[in-house]
Amino acid sequence: MTSTLSNKQSLVLAVEPQAGRRKLSTAKAMQEAISQRMARDESVFVMGEDVGAYGGIFSSTTGLLDRFGPERIRDTPISESAFIGLGIGAAVEGMRPIVELMFADFFGVCMDQIYNHMAKIHYESGGNVRVPMVLMMAAGGGYSDGAQHSQCLWGTFAHLPGMKVVVPSNPYDAKGLMTAAIESDDPVVFVFHKGVMGLGWMAKNDRSVGAVPEDEYVVPIGKARVAREGTDVTIVTISLSVHHSLDVAEKLASEGISVEVIDLRSLVPLDRETIVRSVSKTGRLIVVDEDYQSFGLSGEVIAVVAEHDPTLLKRVSRVCVPDVPIPYAHELEYAVLPTPARIEAAVRDAVAK
Amino acid sequence: MTDVLFPVMSEADGATGVIVTWFVDSGDEVTPTTLIAEVAVDKVDAEVYPPTSGVITLLVEESTQTRQGAVIAQVT
Repeated sequence: MTSTLSNKQSLVLAVEPQAGRRKLSTAKAMQEAISQRMARDESVFVMGEDVGAYGGIFSSTTGLLDRFGPERIRDTPISESAFIGLGIGAAVEGMRPIVELMFADFFGVCMDQIYNHMAKIHYESGGNVRVPMVLMMAAGGGYSDGAQHSQCLWGTFAHLPGMKVVVPSNPYDAKGLMTAAIESDDPVVFVFHKGVMGLGWMAKNDRSVGAVPEDEYVVPIGKARVAREGTDVTIVTISLSVHHSLDVAEKLASEGISVEVIDLRSLVPLDRETIVRSVSKTGRLIVVDEDYQSFGLSGEVIAVVAEHDPTLLKRVSRVCVPDVPIPYAHELEYAVLPTPARIEAAVRDAVAK
Repeated sequence: MTDVLFPVMSEADGATGVIVTWFVDSGDEVTPTTLIAEVAVDKVDAEVYPPTSGVITLLVEESTQTRQGAVIAQVT
């Protein structure tokens, strides 16, 4: 196994570094993480559809081809099963591939490679063979791309054992989590919501641009972030829904409603301790998730608290996509997405009782 | 005082674009390696760096249609 331990020691810090003043979009923060790791570790390379000259259809790899060339930034044909398998093979031979699936929705054509091979080789080899691979993909709706290009699906990957599942909400976390994902000796599914990338052609929340340290650093995978402290109600959420939840929390603060917002940052490992600690304080839990409601993250988070101590919960609810395909029509799509209006209604309902 | 111009990205006369993101605020210190803005013309993006070091003043808001070559900021 190619090791980058000498780098790792300088990467993992006891506390996460101060953000500093320089600002980047989430997309540029991801690009920088990949670029800095590639510059220091020759075993890292990127592969996928349109990751080269196009720079990733949601700008995850912009500029990397110019810097590293086509040998290390490899465009592939539309052949997900083949190139994900190729990534797995490279990983077990000691490389650290970053493979882009483009849309999370496309997992259907390559799931055998993902969950039967990438996720299980470590287990089936008795821990002798590692798969240090990053599988990154775009997720989420809100821009009328229809039922096959708007799903989140992170809960589906998290349900299957053997993969870490990371979902950043902002530039700082995106850079630190991408660095951690590349450095991980386990397969990491890195899901980025298109709405947090800071792209000009999508609705842009100011939280998609933020301060990012210039040096390499790691945000540890499996550690949630208290994005806002509060005392009346806990919102546990992830990705773009963090932005909406923080917007709602700011609005309701002026009415004296104090909302704590937990950004999980990863589904696997799930930071159960931070969830329980927050709900112990507030007694009211709302899970906001843009993934489908049933059999997913929202139910899992509620189960974490219920199994710990069901008497903690005075109120519990969830704001998710009801179990329907994501509509194309704008009005219908926004009727199912976890919008700020739906989150606000859930908070008012929680504190009213 | 040095002008920062909206980059010329299209051959079409009078082409306009938008500032997608300002990465700095008025009053910030910048150098020629400071990424100050991302701009777009037709769906093509470009990064903007200041030609000189100093304190920047932004003159155009994000998302405003802006002519290529127009002054978008000043460095003093």
